[in-house]
Order: sequence, then structure tokens, then C-alpha cells
Amino acid sequence: MDNTRKFKRREFINTSLRLGIGAGLGAIAIGLTTRSVEGKTLWQLDTSKCVQCGNCAISCVKQVSAVKCIHVTDMCGYCDLCSGYLRSNPKDLNTAAENRLCPTGAISRHFIEEPYFEYKITEELCNGCGKCVKNCGAFGNGSLQLQIQQDQCLNCNQCAIARTCPSQAFSRVDRDSPYILKGFESKKSKG
Amino acid sequence: MKQKLEQNIIPVTIFIGCCFLFFWLFYNPVKSFSEGVPGLDNRPARSASSEDSVVIGEKFISYVPAFTTSLTGNWPQFRGPGYDNISREKIKLIDHFPETGPVILWKKDLGEGHAAAAIYNGRVYVMDYDERKKADVLHCYSLTDGTELWRRSYSVVLKRNHGMSRTIPAVNEKYVVTIGPRCHVMCCNSVTGDLIWGIDPVRDFKATVPLWYTGQCPIIDNNVAIIATGGAALMMGVDCATGKVLWKTPNPDSLKMSHSSVVPMTIEGKKMYVYNALGGLFGVSAEGNDTGKLLWKVKDFSPSVIAPSPVKVGSNRIFVTAGYGAGSALYQVTRNGESYSAQTIQIYKPAEGMASEQQTPIFVNGYVFNIQPKDAGTTRNEFVCCKPDNFKNILWTSSTTDRFGLGPYILADNKFFILSDEGDLTIARFSTSKFEVLSKAKIIDGQDSWGPLAIADGMLVLRDSKQMVCVDLKVK
Repeated sequence: MDNTRKFKRREFINTSLRLGIGAGLGAIAIGLTTRSVEGKTLWQLDTSKCVQCGNCAISCVKQVSAVKCIHVTDMCGYCDLCSGYLRSNPKDLNTAAENRLCPTGAISRHFIEEPYFEYKITEELCNGCGKCVKNCGAFGNGSLQLQIQQDQCLNCNQCAIARTCPSQAFSRVDRDSPYILKGFESKKSKG
Repeated sequence: MKQKLEQNIIPVTIFIGCCFLFFWLFYNPVKSFSEGVPGLDNRPARSASSEDSVVIGEKFISYVPAFTTSLTGNWPQFRGPGYDNISREKIKLIDHFPETGPVILWKKDLGEGHAAAAIYNGRVYVMDYDERKKADVLHCYSLTDGTELWRRSYSVVLKRNHGMSRTIPAVNEKYVVTIGPRCHVMCCNSVTGDLIWGIDPVRDFKATVPLWYTGQCPIIDNNVAIIATGGAALMMGVDCATGKVLWKTPNPDSLKMSHSSVVPMTIEGKKMYVYNALGGLFGVSAEGNDTGKLLWKVKDFSPSVIAPSPVKVGSNRIFVTAGYGAGSALYQVTRNGESYSAQTIQIYKPAEGMASEQQTPIFVNGYVFNIQPKDAGTTRNEFVCCKPDNFKNILWTSSTTDRFGLGPYILADNKFFILSDEGDLTIARFSTSKFEVLSKAKIIDGQDSWGPLAIADGMLVLRDSKQMVCVDLKVK
């Protein structure tokens, strides 16, 4: 006896239609979902408007803020006395915790050659408080800048930080230009 | 059965308890933490230096050996003849720039830096750094047309560090004394450029080269060069004729050289040299048998970087200020018999009152004038005025329409001449009641126009980070 099951024409058409409708509905659902999440714009903060108030560290819906310090290296002076790395009037110009400004130790430095030091941001440790950015802008070249890290941002419909930003520095930017950095060439460098 | 269960519960409980105990004892909840200790940046214990091989003043070129001039105006050192940034020449200066623009007499390309000019009898002296030849170069130019008369130089290796040159020579009719970026002190004949002597304070007196290189400008007092070296000597007086160290002030507190300069002052009838070193402010006797003796010192205002020099405000008060968040302090020096002491009157942060990051304020007619630093809050970079009885009370400002960055300013012919960061020169009427702009013009295109101004015979010499310009301000 032949056990091989043969499709009848009606059965084949019914199955094909069901699969087609199912695939179509799935595609529509995926498309709608994707469009609602991604959109064409992303949240970003304008560094020229930012006043480093500290809200970014506490207002983001993420437990550790998606706003991070970015180092625009082509603006950096590579100073020994870095006002973004060292607190005001440090006891010594070294890496001791009591001399450092960053509350989470997110900035590290390495000697290059006399008299230059290279500064790097450990993104995982940065909470976006902006203390280093404030001091770097006040006394240095302004190479440390706050930006939303787009790979960590949830792109909320209503950005919680934007609602509390006192300088209206947050706005939606085009997905193709997701960062607003000031600087000579505005290169982004992450540690 | 029940008995067997009870027999097992006790050892199982003990076992679980031991597990918890071991876990508690050996689990390190902060194992991902790292200690913040010195040395994590791989800074070498002692950086390589070529200082020992420097031969101060080794090279000389004379371009115009027979130069003569009838000019007699002087701006002989940092902050001019009176150490107060005020020109007292009786030459009428313009209120407004000509419609055709400022009269530029000459321009000179210089090495990157902020070293400004001293002027003496028609000669302009500039301590430059030639990056291509890797040499400190003392240029002597003609004030009227910028012709280079001679240059004396010596090889020393420097790297760019927010500019390289920062100091102003001190000149009199016989001598010109310079301090180079790495603290090398050189004395030459101010007319011929002949080398007289050189001293290396780092090698000979264990001085420390300040961050971003030397900013201290030397002074000459009665043909004695006064240098605050730090290290083995707090301050010293060097005979310009011989190079012999006439006196040295001990430095038991190991104070270091700052970017500030020594200022002669007479307080309580005693002439003294006042210096704001890294670690404290002090006064050294400048006359009599005790010349060089430390008279007083205070250490409660001790910023990491100090660029402005001390300013005497009133009969016995000294105002000091510094940038990078430090703020300012006001002291009163009093005499008790043969001893002196300094009492703190005010100490405050830059947002609370008058402060400066780079330039030294002007005290005149009982008022103090200054440009506020970047961290002064709403008055940042504005030209402000206050009375010296309370530096926290700013009387007026130039407002947000006139901000000058870290630029220099000078008072001449009853007018302030204020240069902005970007090279705009503002002429403002001298007033203790308001800021009144008379005229403004773009003088120089570059950036960081921070070098102090010098004026003599109605000609103003200024610079940005790479170029020096002479502007004729005389009324025609």
C-alpha cells in the first residue's frame, strides 16, 4: 500500500492562501513595530546649549543614564593639569583618588611623553553627571562633551531628560546625524 | 523515622551555615573596584631633559649695529614703569580709530606663545621661542618700523604646551634680563645685545619649571635682577653687571615658582618684593641691611596655578587672585616693631566677586578694574570695577555686550585699551561709575591674544598667539 500523502488541488490552494495571509500579516506587524520604535529621528543634546546642570545623570529612565561624556580628542590639550580630570586645587597632579574629579572614576589618563597625557573615558562607568565637562569647558579647551550614546538610548517618545533640561539643549536630530559635537573636526573618540 | 530526620537536620543545618559563613568570609563584593592611587598613569619618575646641555646666550646676530633713535618712551618690564599697567606719558592718544582702520606700523611673526614686549628708548624686546630652530630667542626690534636690530639665542628643546613663550624681559639703560620657558635667566647689554651672564635655576637652584612653562617676568631694581626661583631659594637678587648672586632668601616651605611675577611694594614704610608662589604669598625685604630677608608669609590661599601678580590696593593691603576655580584673597600687612605679619581680610570663589585667571587687575584712583574669569558666573569675561574695601561687591560691569575673554588691558591717557581673545581692541573712557566704549577695531586675526600690552611714545605693541603688531595710537 502506498503511504505517501498526496495534496489535492483544493487543499494546496487553501494552504498556500493561509500561509500567504499569515506572512503578510507578520510583515505588516514587523513593519509597524519597527517604525514605531525607530522612526526617523533620535534624541540628542546640543553641546553648545548644555550647562552641565547634572540632570542627565538622574533624569534618564535608564538606571545608568544613556548620556555619557565624549572626548573630542582633536580639541584636547593633553595637559598634565587637566581641569576635567583633576579637581580644583588638587593636592598633587597624579592619579590618586583624592585628586580626581570624576565621582565614578570613569576618566583615566596615561603618560605619552613629556609633557603630554592622554585621557580616555570608560563609558560603562560614566553616569553623565557632566562635572568633567563643566571644568573642561571653564578652564580647558572644552574637549569633554556630553552626548546621548545612541546605542544605549531607548529613544523614548518623551525623553525624560529633555523634559527637565533647563537650557532646552535636547532635541530630535536626524538619524543620519546622531551626534552634535563642537570642535575643530568633531571627531568622536571613545575610550 | 522521626528520630532519623532529627538526626539529619542538625548536621545539614550546620553544613548550610558553614557554607554561608565561608561564602560571607571569602566573597568580595568590591572585587571589581580598583584603588585610586598615584602612578596609574605610567608617569616616569624623572622625565628626560636636555637642560644640562643648554649654553645660555650662545648665539648672536647683529643686523643694525649703528641704530640710533630719538624716542625716549619706556615700558621697561611687565606692567610698565610703575608695575601698575598705567602709562603716564603726556602723549595724546586717539579716542576713536580712523575710518580707514587702525594705523598698523609693523607686524612680526613669532613662535606660538604669549610672550609680550618691553620697550626702552625706541627698542622693543621680545623673548620668543623659535620652534624650527628649537631655541629661545631674544629679539630687539626698532619700535617705529619693526626692523630687527639684533637677536641673541640659545638652543633648548621645548614641545608645544598651550604656547611656549610667556615672559616679558626687564630692561634699563644698561641691561636686559630674560627668563626663558625652561627658567633659563639671561642678562645682556640692552643696546648692543652682548651677553653678560646666564643662570639656570633648575640646574643650579633646583627650581621646578611650572606647568606650561615659565610665566614669571623678571624685574631689575637698581641694576639687580630679582628672580623668584623656588627650589633651593625662595627669591634671589643677581648683580646685573657680574651675575653674582647678591642675596638669597631661604625656602624652608619648598614653595615653587608660579606664573606670577615679583612686584616691588612699599608697605608700612618698608620696601619689599612681594611674590605669590605656589604654596603661599610672601614679602621679602628690598632695602637696607636685611635685603633678601623674608618679612612675612601667608599660606591660606594656595591655588595650583597662579598667573596674575599681587596688586597693592591702598596703603597696606594686597589683592591676589588666580584662575581655575581658585578665586581671590585680600590681605593686610601690618608692622609690629621690626616684624611683619599678614592678616586675611577676604577669601572667596570666582563667582562671588572680583577674580582673574590670567591678567593682573589695575588699581587706580581708589578703584580696581579687571576682566572676570570664565567661571565668574554671570559676569564672566566682563570688564568690571570694584572698590578695594570689598572685592565681593562689583560696582559695574561692561555687560554681556562687551566680553573680552582672557585678554589684556592697559590704562593710558585716561582711557582703557582692552584687547579681546580674538584680537579686537576696545577703547573705553576711564570712569569709576560706568563702562563707556569709545571705539572698537579688529587689530589682529589670530586667537588667544593674551600677551600683556606695552605702550611707549604713543605706540601700542600687542600680540596674539603667533603674531606681534605695533599700532600707532597718537593723535595726528
